[in-house]
Amino acid sequence: MDFTCNDCKFYLPVDVFRGICKYSKQKTGPDQLFCDKGEKIQKCKFCSRYYSDKDYLGKCMETTLAYPDMIAAKCADFEWYRHN
Amino acid sequence: MLRTEKTDINYYGHKPAETIEKREQKPLPTSRAHAARELYFEAKSSISMEFPYWYTRRWEELEGEIPIIRRAEALKAGFEHLTPVVYPGELLAMGKAAYLRGSFPMPWLSEAFFMAAEDKLYKEAQESGKLTADTVTTMGKGGGNVTKSIGNVISIAGKFGIRKEEMPAMVEIAKKWKDKSVDDVGHKYEQMVPGYKEKEALMRSVICMFDSGYTLPQGREVINYYYPLQHGIDGIIRICGKRMAEVAGFPDMDRLYFYRAVNIMMHGIKAWIRNNAEEARFMASLEEEGQQRSEYLEMAERLEWLADNPPRSFHDALQMIWIWHVAVLNEDAISGLSPGRVGQVLYPFWKRDMDKGSLDREKTIELLECMRIKFTEIDCFASMGVVGGVLSGNTFNNLCLGGLKRDGTSAANELEMLILQAGISCDTPQPTLSVLYDEKLPEEFLLKGVECTKIGTGYPAWVNNPVATEFLMNNYSHEGMTLEEARAWSIGGCLETSPGSWMPLNLDGEFHWIPGGSAPATSVGVHFLSLPKLLEVTLFDGMDMRTGLRIFPSHGSKLETYEELWQTFRNYFSRAVEVLTLTNNIQHDAWRKISPSLVNSMLKPDCLEKGKDIGQMGSRFNTTFNVESCGTTTLVNSLAALKKNVYGEKCFTLDEYRKALLANFGYKTAQETGSYSLLDQVPTGDYDQWKRIHKFSLEAPKFGNDEDFVDGILKDWENWFCEMTHQYRSLYDQPMYACQISVSTHGPMGAVTLATPDGRLSGTTFSDGSVSAYPGTDKNGPYALFTSATCWNHSLSQNSQLNMKIHPSVVKGREGSRKFLELIRAYMRKGGFHVQFNIVDSRMLKEAQTEPDKYRSLLVRVAGFTQYWVELGKQIQDEVIARTEYEEL
Repeated sequence: MDFTCNDCKFYLPVDVFRGICKYSKQKTGPDQLFCDKGEKIQKCKFCSRYYSDKDYLGKCMETTLAYPDMIAAKCADFEWYRHN
Repeated sequence: MLRTEKTDINYYGHKPAETIEKREQKPLPTSRAHAARELYFEAKSSISMEFPYWYTRRWEELEGEIPIIRRAEALKAGFEHLTPVVYPGELLAMGKAAYLRGSFPMPWLSEAFFMAAEDKLYKEAQESGKLTADTVTTMGKGGGNVTKSIGNVISIAGKFGIRKEEMPAMVEIAKKWKDKSVDDVGHKYEQMVPGYKEKEALMRSVICMFDSGYTLPQGREVINYYYPLQHGIDGIIRICGKRMAEVAGFPDMDRLYFYRAVNIMMHGIKAWIRNNAEEARFMASLEEEGQQRSEYLEMAERLEWLADNPPRSFHDALQMIWIWHVAVLNEDAISGLSPGRVGQVLYPFWKRDMDKGSLDREKTIELLECMRIKFTEIDCFASMGVVGGVLSGNTFNNLCLGGLKRDGTSAANELEMLILQAGISCDTPQPTLSVLYDEKLPEEFLLKGVECTKIGTGYPAWVNNPVATEFLMNNYSHEGMTLEEARAWSIGGCLETSPGSWMPLNLDGEFHWIPGGSAPATSVGVHFLSLPKLLEVTLFDGMDMRTGLRIFPSHGSKLETYEELWQTFRNYFSRAVEVLTLTNNIQHDAWRKISPSLVNSMLKPDCLEKGKDIGQMGSRFNTTFNVESCGTTTLVNSLAALKKNVYGEKCFTLDEYRKALLANFGYKTAQETGSYSLLDQVPTGDYDQWKRIHKFSLEAPKFGNDEDFVDGILKDWENWFCEMTHQYRSLYDQPMYACQISVSTHGPMGAVTLATPDGRLSGTTFSDGSVSAYPGTDKNGPYALFTSATCWNHSLSQNSQLNMKIHPSVVKGREGSRKFLELIRAYMRKGGFHVQFNIVDSRMLKEAQTEPDKYRSLLVRVAGFTQYWVELGKQIQDEVIARTEYEEL
């Protein structure tokens, strides 16, 4: 799986097209590939409690609607998926 | 008046010099504000699903819980899960969502609109009448609008962008609200109103523009920042705890649930602030030692303090009011949440810091400029018909200056002078400014206001303090309003006179009476009624000739006399108001039951005292529903043409007029030409057949020239309209009143209306505002226009609206400022409620229409708001260009 700036904890979104790298202070975009400084931000797709059942949609704890790209930094149930 | 050359513009006085006149030079913003504004210019309107996801998830978890508690828990979940973002250089933190111009859908209000086009639910929604306004509205093609889908971004309503990864979730979450949203529940019950089919027809024909109950249930009101400024968050939580203990188990148990709900919601706000503080610390950790790192750390410390406590300084207080402003905006789809008289609210904090020497004017300006940028970043997610057709992408955060203090003396202060200065140096659409004009205001203050208006920002607008006070006393004294309290008023939204109260701020043991809003949304109700379209329906015996829909039962009248026409028009108008009032009351009832306000209710006096939210009349004043009109001058000019040409001089029969209107006087329609201005229309081969009747129509007396024949028609209309609205009762069993602002509705409403008897062509915009002249028809100068506009008593209505366009050369220099102030003063002294100005060379606007990239920062005044030219729809751009440009006063 290729990670992009949109998956990075140093990515500061300005809008849906572009953002700023908090680390380098440079402008970047959500679809740019991870650089060597990139670190994943907590997202549903990186959570062990998340299960994907179709494109862009899944379940949280097997019961509740969730979607892979939602930032879960403030989710009390987030748990890093062990392979990540 | 009608010209075919594309370069023609309506002028009063001599023609301007050949070269385009620029606006007056103005000081630049601070480098910090400049950088923030540049980032804003690059940013597109973006939506995210975080808040609605967590809101819906928590709502579902609590099925069976008491509704207001369920709502509080859902809001708390939304706030505490919002991803915090802090942008470099900011002095004020936090925003609606995790984008600079971020917003999000609220499917609990209405889920139909934002379904993907291919989604079945969306298709079903498209078939109903309520989306018709969307289909005749144009969005601006430039600026921050995401006008089409590109790459991984999907465009919604021609304005908002959403990442494709979030789109399926948006649809799934929306589906969860089907048959449960305010829109759907309200719709189920409004069909029980006798005559509901007429309501449906009124919406489909765009005689009425939108339902406020589920589109914008709050707003057009003035926020009140008193409680957080005085008590801080922990203080409010303590008040709730104490009151819960006092009311638990006693009758009127709803109070217990209200206090508990506020308590829950407050913990969500606390978490949201703390999350942002944590993010500021994280941002600081990525910086070397230096100014930026210090600023992040100061921001973090400030937010940590404000998560619990009342503000300690002016900077704290400014941050605090911004937090609460955004918090209210995140509880409902809201336009026109006005900060009100912020310069007077914050003055005690500012004065204390200035006296201590911990703040100076330069730093104040920088902070106020940062405030301007933050307010400009606010976006409101609603349907295209509402965001484009009504709001033109604007959010109407009106900051008012001047007016009177509680004791009747001038309320203008030094901080307000700096607010005006920041409005000059950092010209942005938000917050728009209004001066509450009173003869007691100092000349220096008024001239500062003029200096600001002159640079072409379109603000401050000029609003008549005594007229507004009289209106409030007429309409709110039965709820206990005194003259003292009426003086606390302010403008809510673009131009809605809104009640206020004085609250006792205790700072270091000294009391300061600060003004703030004390009523819920002052512009919900019947929105908007197209007067020219209702005249068209009257002429065609209850039919909408564009769609072939029958709107009303046949009136059966031959309309043989002017009096008969006038009476029949009024009958149809009354019927529309009646049915729309009843259906609207049902929608707002659904809103207060499903989605009661908690954040705004907590702020509004006297909800915390009474233990009731604003939907349960917890506010001090509740007479806030109105009937809004659009196209007044087009109606009046049309009635004048018929009165003269059909009933007076009998040059034509009414049947001949009907045929001419259907034939569009022998011209192509605006949709065919792609221009919505009368100036640019193109004749067809049949033109000669209709030439005579069109000429007579154009030459009939027009409003704005101090002519009794036509002004008398306006006066009759206003006296009847303002009175008849009181017969209808709002959801809160209070009489309604007249509201007369067009905002942007004169564009889309004009687009669906045939040619009108005044000579206006099919599909072109109506006259703007309510007492603006139709473009190019005010030929006797500004003072004649003022006399026409004030032929009726403006305090009978919540507002009136007059827009004027003046060439920059006319008000140039200090002498120009004096002349300009005298012009404004003359209108106020005649009893005019409101006047606003575009100081611009119209040729510049034409150039900006063809080369938008060169004019990203060009601001214009529309009708109650200032907006970036490139973010306006073409209908409104054409109308602003066509307005009469005054070359002399």
